[in-house]
Amino acid sequence: MSLALIAALPFLGALTPALTQRFGRGIATATVALFSAAALLLILQHVPAIMAGQTITTQINWLPTLGLNANFRLDGLALLFALLILGIGLLIQIYARFYLDTSEPYARFLTYLMLFQGAMLGIVLSDNILLLLVFWEMTSLSSFLLIGFWSHLPKARQGARMALATTGAGGLAMIAGLLMLGHVAGGYDLSTILGERAAIQASPLYVPALLLILLGAFTKSAQFPFHYWLPHAMAAPTPVSAYLHSATMVKAGLFLLARLWPVLAGTPEWFWIVTSAGLITMSFAAGVALFKDDLKAILAYSTVSHLGLITFLLGLGTKAAATAAVFHILCHATFKAALFMLAGIVDHATHTRDIRALGGLRRAMPISFALASIATLSMAGIPPLNGFLSKEMMLEEAAHTAPWVIPVLATFAALLSVAYALRFLVYTFLGQAPAYAHAPHDPGAGLWLPPAILAALVVAIGLAPMAMAGWLVDAAASATTGEAVHAHIALWHGLQPPALWMSLAAVGGALVVLGLYPALRAAWDGAHKPDAKAMFDAGMGWLTKTATALTQGLHNGSLSRGFAVGLCSFLALGLYAYLSAPTLPGTRALTQISFAPVVAFGLLMTAALAATALHRKRLLALLLTGIVGLILSASFAYLSAPDLALTQITVEVVTIALMLLALNFLPKTTPRKTAGFRKLRDGGLAVAVGTGVAALAYTLMTREAMFPPISAFHLAQSLPGAGGHNAVNTIIVDFRGYDTYGEIIVLGIAALLIFALTESLLGTRWAVQPDHAAGDEGDAHPVMLQTATRLILPMAMLVGVYLFLRGHNEPGGGFVAGLVFAIGLVLQYIASGQDWAAARRRIPYHAMIGAGVLVASATGIGSFLAGRPFLTSNFTHGHLPPLKDFELATAALFDLGVFLCVLGAVMLALDALARLAKPQEGR
Amino acid sequence: MEVLIAIAIGTLTACGIYLMLRARTFPVILGLSLLSYAVNLFIFISGRIRLDAAPIIADGPYTDPLPQALVLTAIVISFGMTAVLVIMALGAYLTAGHDRIDTEDQHAEDQP
Amino acid sequence: MSQLLILPVILPAALAGFIILFARNALAVQRAISGFGTLALLALAITLIQAPTQSYFLGNWPAPFGIALTLDGLSALMLLLTASLALIVLIHSIATGWDAQGRHFHALFLFQLMGLNGAFLTADAFNLFVFFEVLLIASYGLMVHGGGQARIRAGVQYVAFNLLGSTLFLFALATIYSTMGTLNMADLAQKLPLVGADDTGLIRVAAVLLMLVFAIKAALVPLQFWLPGTYANAPGPVAALFAVMTKVGAYALIRFGTLVFPGDLPALGGLLAGLLYPAALATIAVGAIGTLAAGALPRQIAFAAIGSMGTLLLAVSAFTPEAVSATLYYLIHSTLATAALFLIADLARTRRDGLTAALYMAAAIAMAGMPPLSGFVGKLLVLDALRSDPLAWTFILLASLLTMIGLARQGSDLFWKAPNTEAPAQSKAGVLLCLAALVALTLAAGPITGWLGQTAAALDAPEAYIAANRLGVAE
Repeated sequence: MSLALIAALPFLGALTPALTQRFGRGIATATVALFSAAALLLILQHVPAIMAGQTITTQINWLPTLGLNANFRLDGLALLFALLILGIGLLIQIYARFYLDTSEPYARFLTYLMLFQGAMLGIVLSDNILLLLVFWEMTSLSSFLLIGFWSHLPKARQGARMALATTGAGGLAMIAGLLMLGHVAGGYDLSTILGERAAIQASPLYVPALLLILLGAFTKSAQFPFHYWLPHAMAAPTPVSAYLHSATMVKAGLFLLARLWPVLAGTPEWFWIVTSAGLITMSFAAGVALFKDDLKAILAYSTVSHLGLITFLLGLGTKAAATAAVFHILCHATFKAALFMLAGIVDHATHTRDIRALGGLRRAMPISFALASIATLSMAGIPPLNGFLSKEMMLEEAAHTAPWVIPVLATFAALLSVAYALRFLVYTFLGQAPAYAHAPHDPGAGLWLPPAILAALVVAIGLAPMAMAGWLVDAAASATTGEAVHAHIALWHGLQPPALWMSLAAVGGALVVLGLYPALRAAWDGAHKPDAKAMFDAGMGWLTKTATALTQGLHNGSLSRGFAVGLCSFLALGLYAYLSAPTLPGTRALTQISFAPVVAFGLLMTAALAATALHRKRLLALLLTGIVGLILSASFAYLSAPDLALTQITVEVVTIALMLLALNFLPKTTPRKTAGFRKLRDGGLAVAVGTGVAALAYTLMTREAMFPPISAFHLAQSLPGAGGHNAVNTIIVDFRGYDTYGEIIVLGIAALLIFALTESLLGTRWAVQPDHAAGDEGDAHPVMLQTATRLILPMAMLVGVYLFLRGHNEPGGGFVAGLVFAIGLVLQYIASGQDWAAARRRIPYHAMIGAGVLVASATGIGSFLAGRPFLTSNFTHGHLPPLKDFELATAALFDLGVFLCVLGAVMLALDALARLAKPQEGR
Repeated sequence: MEVLIAIAIGTLTACGIYLMLRARTFPVILGLSLLSYAVNLFIFISGRIRLDAAPIIADGPYTDPLPQALVLTAIVISFGMTAVLVIMALGAYLTAGHDRIDTEDQHAEDQP
Repeated sequence: MSQLLILPVILPAALAGFIILFARNALAVQRAISGFGTLALLALAITLIQAPTQSYFLGNWPAPFGIALTLDGLSALMLLLTASLALIVLIHSIATGWDAQGRHFHALFLFQLMGLNGAFLTADAFNLFVFFEVLLIASYGLMVHGGGQARIRAGVQYVAFNLLGSTLFLFALATIYSTMGTLNMADLAQKLPLVGADDTGLIRVAAVLLMLVFAIKAALVPLQFWLPGTYANAPGPVAALFAVMTKVGAYALIRFGTLVFPGDLPALGGLLAGLLYPAALATIAVGAIGTLAAGALPRQIAFAAIGSMGTLLLAVSAFTPEAVSATLYYLIHSTLATAALFLIADLARTRRDGLTAALYMAAAIAMAGMPPLSGFVGKLLVLDALRSDPLAWTFILLASLLTMIGLARQGSDLFWKAPNTEAPAQSKAGVLLCLAALVALTLAAGPITGWLGQTAAALDAPEAYIAANRLGVAE
């Protein structure tokens, strides 16, 4: 539990600034520092055990089926990193407290910092590599926030996004790599994986997994060619840079290389990829650092270079090289964090970080000068500082590695390193002081104390490496290599080792380089250099532009494109499905054809085709469509479907009436704009789909169903079970009454929607005014017609009641009855105009719909009383003089719900049209 | 008979689809109407064709009543949907001043 | 017989009817009723998720002759997800006053829930159509809630597209009835394996048509055209609720793909999986590219939602219990993450303060599948389930990257470049609840995936579902 607690502490700390900020920055800082310090102490408490070679673990199951568990481990390597993360973290917290301006959102800064610290600590403490991934991506995300902290600056936003895109992409590759690694190793815990070296390296997945994992590590640790994001991350406030680019974020990649070193290292693939990436990065970045003028940029490239150095050492795959790598991780963290902080101090004091505008600060800022000297010389690898020791170890390893180009490049990089370090120091602190706007001076102790502590460490480790760091390096190197390591780090190994000569060469060379600097600089400035940021931006710009073009090209808002593509897929896949499997020929005897249906269907098709051809003349097309519907209802009657005939004809009348009224508002013709090609395309598609549907229909009609249809049950049970002669009606109100229940709801919702939409339309400004007014004036409503329709209304009602009551036995029912009622009212509306209709808007159609839904629901729920399921019907017979015999079924009540909803829906729609026609009255 | 009905279904479908591919709301509504006729007929024939066999219980024979019931449900639902589409198309016309059905999709409106 | 199974359908319907009849002008009462209904549905869903697989025979008619509802783990999960999302959306709508922007929000909202619940519970293919229509027409109403030119025009497209979809649904159903003579899904599942190997053409057509109809709802490429305009123009909370609409399509695909048209059905062979797989890959690509292309935030979220449907359907296309289990986890996640983003986009329209930015970041992290939220867990589960498929891995991981870049750019432009703290702050309760749900989904991933594993196993071997329908047995 303790390890999980340690990992959780920074996250808990991240919650506090929001609460403590009102007590001032000091208290807020102290609170978060308390959490970091507590974590540090808890870690330190485990040191004796780790020195004794133990590994501390904690296991909490999270997602065991996947193998993602909150398993933590603390061994030497984790210890080294945890100390760096928490120790330097504490110093950064103090430094930031005094560095950031009071106008900055300090609480937010602390929160981000602690989130980052937690993510970093999580990486190094994870035993489960999937858990490690979680923390890994969290460092990308929290560093995004930190780098973009000055979010009003475009540079900060761009730098943050660049870092996120690059390290995030690497992280995604790493997901794949680590998943593969886990599959091969048979588990995601390091304790499992680290023992599976042979299996992993023998697996065919080794190379892909290695490449993907390296992609993650290299992007994070800014190895060439993924180094470009790091210098742009310098847009962050300096405390962030000091933290992210010395001890933490960029070291995460190295940590991962070290962590998986026992199972991944030692193969030719590993050696060549990792050493070359490291070596190239190391020399290339050191060269760039030499020509940068911004203090933080110099440090940024120097960091990249040192990361390359460590990568190179890890790539060598030997125990000694790994030990050197571990040691340099420690050394680099100490001097680089100090240097970043000092760069920040200089920036604060002089308001510039441009090395060309600086100089002579040694007198004005003696403390800073002293600290900077120590840290810079350590970076340059000058004895007796810790940087010298680790550099010597590196050169020693390089000297023993073939081919010759390796030691040469290593020496060259060391040479450049000395050069840029000296330039950094000399140009800032020595020489003539330019005229500063404000007299620079050393900062308060709050700012210089943190780098001073680090500088003290630099010296102490340099002078007494074994006492100060030997134990830690041993523990970390043992954990890295999986074997017991006892390093011998000493200042003086005598004159024998080649490393010493290489070092001397480097220093000498550096002096020569600095001597030639003006000439070199002129050549550098004149040279055409690929600008990584420009390339990244261009790449991103291209990506975004392509994505935008693709998306807008695809989703251009055209509905007909969606239709066309959809129909094509239905047609093509339907055809494919049919043709790719056998179908038996139809055996059902064809029905005898007679004259009447040929004429009817001929008319139907002619009307449909005419409506299509003449669709620009909207009124005509609408009437032709109506004719199609009428012929269809006649056909239904002919084809033994009287219910359908009745329903179709009433629906047709109401629909056409509604559309006629709506057309009153709309343009009466469709403008002719379509290109001939498009007509051809649409026509082709329409004919193809039509043919497909016709073929399918024909195939179905010429065969019997493969299994006896369930409707045999309905026919058999219609009378005895559901108490109705009309099987279609008993299905609707009883066997499948639940469908009808849903159907009522659909109508009810339709009415609500129409009402709500009308309301909102009446509250919106219109782009056009409906041009219906002309038809509304004067004698537009002939008296004859008005009188006739007023007579029709009661008749329609009577017919409606009749149809309603007989529905259970004969064609009819609530739906048709409602429509017949509605037809009467619609005719009234058409004949007398909306004024008449509006004046009679007393009936609350809303209530009708509500009542309809409730009646239907209540009827269904009624059966609960008898312990039966929803909509179980009950019936008895009754007599009413004009009808021979009708059922008093609960189903009839249900039908009443249908009736109310239908009528309400039609009337609300009509009402909506009336109100839209006279918007000023409708409001 | 079967051939005739199949051709009728195909014609209605083709006409409906052609109209649905037009760029104005009104023809699209008409197209959907034609298409719903087509599909109603299609559902209907899934019970096969049988003349003089209305499923009113007497002394048979009966045609399959279930598809007829399904068509009834489909008719009612498509009636509600058509009414909604008509009013919405009207609303679109009144607020936009034209009845083009294609939108400038990329400009999502930023309004309450 | 327990009446519990029908309540998720009739309770919201009756409450909506009540609102229309008695409270159509009293917003406060509507809110109370809506709130009560949603909480009741949540309680019901929590009860039902613990219930064994069972059926409910409407009208007391035996299946397959009447309509049966069948509750299994998948249905119960969808009910619970719907009710949870509904609560989140309702809180947001009331707290931000969206429900007062037009008429009948609450009645339409309850009808919407009714339609969704009905679709998740039914065991009858035609009844599924009916409830699709219920949920669609309610969604049309919610979509144009508040009105406005662009919204209504987008609404017209949405309606028209879905009407075409519904028509195709009917073609498919008629083909099924015509060949199989039945509509009950369990009955179909029993009869389909008996179809002779020499006569499978029509079955295959029906299966493909039906699955394509579901693919429209699920916004599977190339049937996704309706989604961006609809989601981007819908009112914020409605768009959030619509996060579950695409899942209706996914639900139907999973239900039919495991019960009625399983991969081992001789008539189909690997037909459906073979079609679903490339389409899912294309969906991932279209979604991710669209997210990168961005534009306004709601439109971008709409594309991110398409992408997440792609990932989901890619996992579905494997049809193994492991993949289905991963799918279900991802389905919960993607619904909540999409909803959270839409709600945040709604807040960010007027005010872009630090807290909104933080919420956006959390939701964007979830959506892009970054740790530590459920998107990452879901992505790992999917990747693990598809472990022998490097192509799928490539698509999923690259899509993650593009989504992350797109959402990061949007966020930094919106909240960093153009912060806005002028407008009054709006309630963030709904968003916070949604994110809390995502956090809970992440933390409880272990037990949840355990339960989902059982559910997926039951889908893989649907004997219990079929048995619950007691085919041909009268009460």
